[in-house]
Amino acid sequence: MSSTYRAIDWNRQKRLYDLTLLGFLFLGLGTFFAVSLLHSPNATAETLIIRGCAATALMLLHVILCIGPLARLDTSFLPLLYNRRHLGVTMFLLALVHGVFSVAQFHALGDENPLVSVFTAYQRDYRLLDAGRINGAHFPFEPFGVAALGILFLMAATSHDFWLRTLGATFWKTMHLGVYAAYGLILVHVALGFLQSERAYLYPVLLGLGFALVAGLHLLAALQEARLDREQSRLNAEGFTGTCQVDEVVEGCGKVVIARGQRIALFRHQGRLYATSNVCRHQGGPIGEGRIAEGCITCPWHGWNYRPEDGRSPPPFQEVLATFTTRIVGDRVWVNPTANPPGTRCAGGAVTSS
Amino acid sequence: MSDEFYIGYHNKCPPTLAQRTRRRVTQLAVLVVGLMSLFAALQTPAEPGVFEYGVGRSFEGVLYERPLPLLRSVSKDGSMTHFLLVGAGKHGLPAFARGHDGQYVRFRGSLIQKDANVMIELNDPNSFTALGPGTIPEESPAQAVIQDITLTGELVDTKCYFGVMRPATGKGHRACAVRCLSGGVPPGLLVRNPEGNPVVLLLTGPRGQSLQVDPEWGARRIRASGRLVWNEDTPRLEIVSLSLADGGGE
Repeated sequence: MSSTYRAIDWNRQKRLYDLTLLGFLFLGLGTFFAVSLLHSPNATAETLIIRGCAATALMLLHVILCIGPLARLDTSFLPLLYNRRHLGVTMFLLALVHGVFSVAQFHALGDENPLVSVFTAYQRDYRLLDAGRINGAHFPFEPFGVAALGILFLMAATSHDFWLRTLGATFWKTMHLGVYAAYGLILVHVALGFLQSERAYLYPVLLGLGFALVAGLHLLAALQEARLDREQSRLNAEGFTGTCQVDEVVEGCGKVVIARGQRIALFRHQGRLYATSNVCRHQGGPIGEGRIAEGCITCPWHGWNYRPEDGRSPPPFQEVLATFTTRIVGDRVWVNPTANPPGTRCAGGAVTSS
Repeated sequence: MSDEFYIGYHNKCPPTLAQRTRRRVTQLAVLVVGLMSLFAALQTPAEPGVFEYGVGRSFEGVLYERPLPLLRSVSKDGSMTHFLLVGAGKHGLPAFARGHDGQYVRFRGSLIQKDANVMIELNDPNSFTALGPGTIPEESPAQAVIQDITLTGELVDTKCYFGVMRPATGKGHRACAVRCLSGGVPPGLLVRNPEGNPVVLLLTGPRGQSLQVDPEWGARRIRASGRLVWNEDTPRLEIVSLSLADGGGE
């Protein structure tokens, strides 16, 4: 989407993003293959492909999961977020290669349908306890990988904006939170499978560090938001809610404030203060962390545009945000937390120089 | 707070942000190389083995179906070799080669080899020809009983272990071991000799009968009791009893 109404093609930044991603794929897989061939020259090509794709996909998944909270903690990570979907689809393709080669290698050409064998090869070990102990050593690990691959497929297949429009932003976003379920399934898949075969203690340490990084960054981002929310809630009053000082909102920039428990995006544009919903209609991005670009509020995630005075995307786009009435009393910004119907034009509070 | 703001559909990223992104990408590249090197270097090195996949050789000799399918072949220099016989994929001796116990046969197949262990994958039914009763001097391979013994080791499928898959042990390979054992590939017990080197003992039933092993025990540690027999150049264990030895139940 662009306020100049040109279709967004593979512009320079997008090409750079994907070329960099491709470079990382070659680097990751190439490093794995080269070191494996030096260290374990007798390993078969199939083994190297299965393991190399799995390791690269798992590393990529960690990057994908870390980008979100990193961009909330430090906006300089936003360039990595812009085409995060490309990372997701690439990760799925790597996982698919891993899965297809694994099924062909370990289950095909036998006395059972390979897709059945994946679930039944040692079915008597589907039990949580074995001889009074947790059955981690023998419990089948393959079904967890299949389930994760299914979720990743669903997400990769619906990653295009067509599906975002068709399914609606809320449903689409909820569905794509399935990446966390896929991550959990993959951790179990690795713990019950690879970690039972390979005994180097550093493998579980690396996996644990990866999980700690993902969980820690999410926790940090949540704590930061909770702290900001608390500060804003303290300023709430009846009716119009005092939100912040006027000079806290820089010309051309946004600021997220809390009014009666909801996040509202404030923007200062051409001497007036406007307020809209903080949730982008595209993918639910934090509008208030964006800027005014070419006269429009611009979402930091994917550049979706809205006019500050009425929350409407410039024609021919149809997205509309709810607006809020603002007033400036003294040097304080007050917002009526009852949302106007989406697209309602508001005059905006006039900023007067003191 | 920097005044720069990133908009993905613009052609150029703001300069300071672009510089910072380049730095982050470089750091990430170093991390990727380091982690992938570590991941690769921590793997247990695969053992040597050969599978001449797609390469057909001609073999001939006397075929024995029990206790394990093998071909007893004499080379031009008079040396004797015993090749274990399996079918394509995860299968034991194929149907087209059965019913020829003790006969002199000729066929094409693919060689599988790990150290002194040799095996042939019979994957060309049209090349299989039975030429009549065996003509090699000994009627069957000579055997020497060593001792009654109890050993603990991993139950492996010999086809994968002798070279088709590398590595071919552990839980990661368990489903494949199950499929192979279920399909009739001869079972083996992977143990360590006194020097600490891996050795595979072929497993059969008592008095040279075939052994019915539970395929789901594939890739698990088992305790095997029986009579150790040296089958010319191949150690074989005639099993009296088998049980799981990795702390789990059946």
